[in-house]
This record gives sequence, C-alpha cells and structure tokens, in this order.
Amino acid sequence: MSITLYNYVLSGNCYKVRLLANLLNIKYETVAIDFHPGKEHQSEPLLKLNPAGTLPILVANGQVFTETQAMLVWLAQQHDPSCSWWPINNANQLAAVVQWLGFSSRLSATIGELRLHSMLNNTINIDSAQHGAKICLRELESHLTEQRIIGQQWLTGDQPTIADVACFPYTALSPDAGIEHDEYPLIRGWLHALRSLDNFLTMPGIHELHELGSTIRDKT
Amino acid sequence: MTTEPIGLAQDLAPKGVMRAQIGHADMAIWRSTSGVISAWENRCPHRGMRLSHGFVRGESLACAYHGWHYDCDAKCHYIPAHPELEPPSTIRPAIYSVVEKAGIIWVNTAGTATPAELPDRLLGLRTITMQCDLSTAAHAIASAAQTNAALFNGSVNDINSDQTILSLANPNGTDGICILFQQPLAQSTVIHVLAHDSYSQNELIAISRWCESVRREAERIMQSSNKVEPAK
Ligand SMILES: N[C@H](CCC(=O)N[C@@H](CS)C(=O)NCC(=O)O)C(=O)O
Ligand code: FES
Repeated sequence: MSITLYNYVLSGNCYKVRLLANLLNIKYETVAIDFHPGKEHQSEPLLKLNPAGTLPILVANGQVFTETQAMLVWLAQQHDPSCSWWPINNANQLAAVVQWLGFSSRLSATIGELRLHSMLNNTINIDSAQHGAKICLRELESHLTEQRIIGQQWLTGDQPTIADVACFPYTALSPDAGIEHDEYPLIRGWLHALRSLDNFLTMPGIHELHELGSTIRDKT
Repeated sequence: MTTEPIGLAQDLAPKGVMRAQIGHADMAIWRSTSGVISAWENRCPHRGMRLSHGFVRGESLACAYHGWHYDCDAKCHYIPAHPELEPPSTIRPAIYSVVEKAGIIWVNTAGTATPAELPDRLLGLRTITMQCDLSTAAHAIASAAQTNAALFNGSVNDINSDQTILSLANPNGTDGICILFQQPLAQSTVIHVLAHDSYSQNELIAISRWCESVRREAERIMQSSNKVEPAK
C-alpha cells in the first residue's frame, strides 16, 4: 500500500492527517511543499493534482484526495479494525461524527484564517472571523459541557473519533490567532485529553505535555 | 479583599493549569499529579513568563520558557540550564491563599481564603464568561428565571447582600441552581453555575442551554446600551 502526503509543516489541515496517521500507526511518505514563501501549492505540477491549489493532498494507492475530511475517513476506514475512529456501525454516532467534521470547516474558516493572517498577513475580514471564531468555541464548549453531563469525554462518545482529530488542531492553535483558552475550561480539558493519547503527534505551536524530555526532574 | 470563586474544582484536573484574574491580580492556578492545588501570581520570577503557560511535572510546575521547576510551596528547586545548582530559596512566585469547597475553587489575593456558605447538595455545572458588566448579567438572569417554569419557580434570592451569589429555586420551591459571580473584569463577567443534585441529565442540559440564552440576552442588552451611551 502506498500513501503519499503533500505536506506543509505549519498547516493545520496537513497536521490533521499526520496526527491521525500517527495515532493509528500508519506508515506514509511525505513530500514537503514550499507553501510559504514559495507558493508551490499553486505551481503547475501541484495544480495538476489539485486544481483548487490547496494543501493537503493525499495520494493513496493512486487515488487523489484534496479534502482533509475525506483523507481522515479513508485512513480510519482502512486502518482501524475496531471501527471506533470512524464508527460505521452506529448510525447516530456516525452522523454526529460527520456533523463535527462539518464544524471543523468552520474552525478552519475562522481560526485558521485568523492564524494565516497573523502569520502571513493574508487579507481577511478580521472582525467577522473573530466573531465566527467566538461562536464556534462557545458552541464547542457548550457541547463538551453536555457531553460531560451524560458522562462522555469526547465529541461523539466515550472514545475519540476522526471528529475529535479534525476539530483539535485549530482549536488548539487558537492562541496563534489571538484567542486564548482561558474562557473555555471544558475545551482545555478536551485538548489535554487528546494530547495525552498514545502516539500523539506535535506540530509547531502544539507541543507535547512532556516537552522537557530528559530534563524532567520531579522533586521527591 | 474578599474571597472570590475562580472556577469549578472539576474543571482543573490533576496536571491541569489555568489562568484567572481577580481585579488587577493575574494568577496561575494548577493542580499537581497527586491533586495539590496552588494559586500563584502569574509571573515567573526568572523572566516574567506567564506561569499559566507552564507544565505540571509530578509535584512541580515547570515554566514554559526556560523550564524552571517550582514545587507546591512555590520554591524553585530545579533550573535545567544549571542542573547541579541548588537554587536560592528566595526564588519563588508570590502565592495566594486557595481552598476548594462545595466544588468551587476559592482564592483570596490579600488574606486567607474563606469561602461563602452555600446550600447543600449542589454540583458544579459550568463556568461561563459574558461580555457584559455584572449588573447586566444579574438582570438578564433574573428576567430569564421568570420564563422557565419547567426549571425554576421564578424566585431569585440573594444569598449574600452584595448580589454576588444568586440562587434560583426549582419548581418545588427548594434549591435549584446557585450562580456565583466572580469579581468582574473591565469587559466581561464570569459566572459559576451550580445545580442541585436532584435535576436529571436532561434538566441539566436544559439549564446549560438556559445559561447560553441568558448570555446572548445579556450581551444584546450590553451592545444596545453601548450604542446609546458610548463607553467612557
Ligand atoms: N481542501 C480543504 C481546504 C484546505 C486548505 O484550505 N488548506 C490551506 C492550508 S491549511 C491552503 O492550502 N490554503 C491555500 C492558500 O492559503 O494559498 C480541506 O482539505 O479541508
Ligand atoms: S521565564 Fe520562567 S523559566 Fe525563564
């Protein structure tokens, strides 16, 4: 099986794919794309693969995907025999997962855009992106509150799914867009839970909970 | 200075770090792996990094910047760049008195924390931040209590005279929910909502959504009053 990810390290969408692949122990190749300043994703060879001129692009056994959510579905469906990350055997939960995949696009369109603006100075409508980001984070916080009331820790149940993976990066990266997590205690707890999973993967701006590595010294 | 509620105890799990502000005091509150809670000035004695960005390592908080480790007594006991050095005992952030009672974390920035007396059998529901002042929030809560007969009987009581703790009775007339106001910041009011343990899960969800409606209403009132009377 051959899987190739056209990747940019600072992209939150590329990170979703790398994160799930790591969590599920999937081996893949990467092709590093000079997104900034080279704009290589908008060069002719890349536009042949993805006319939309966006990253990530995943080529899996010859099939080309240009939407992150499709990549997550494909990876989980191929590599998760327990069917917990993409719960095809439970109609209600499966629909809830797709609902939160859709929500993750709203996070990209608000927090993701604000972050690109503060990193690359892209032109965007800042007020409307900030307002949209606040609406999204409040909705997520309220949903996690309701999940806690019914005794569930993750977005759609008591196990993480690709919905949690899809919503994680831009929520975690919101401080890059100028939005701190101070107002959102349940979001903080959920981010912490995701970062505590086995085989969690970092990216610039999302470090490990055990970042100091061998220098950790507990006072005993 | 009084003792202020700054969060629900269950929202700060072991290994968790959070930031809270009371008036001009900016603080990092963290819980060690074994469960010990501490509230410190949010400023690393080394170069002033916010300690709320730090990481919990067992029974220490490590600053995110250069990794200085502080133990639960706030004493710096490890500097990664000088592992052999025993740091002077004077290196410590300012500490505040913090206690947990009735599912709430209480902090006093100028004295010993003495939590308010609350009715029994309340459980933490959620903390919610509203972009409005305290009186607008209190007003929106009082009017919303009248219109939700399934959850509340409409009566709103001040538990203390300064209106920083309100209780709304449930339809049987007994304790329903309790709302604690944290000393407001310039732009926002933080409330902590506790609910009686007799509410069902569906009722708790309804109360959580009621809080969101209250917030939308309070922020609408605030926005329209800002239009009439520009902020000073
Ligand atoms: N195809 C969509 C959108 C992906 C997307 O917007 N990616 C960003 C990078 S994170 C991008 O390539 N933007 C193009 C640009 O800014 O030039 C998806 O996979 O969710
Ligand atoms: S600023 Fe905290 S360790 Fe340097």
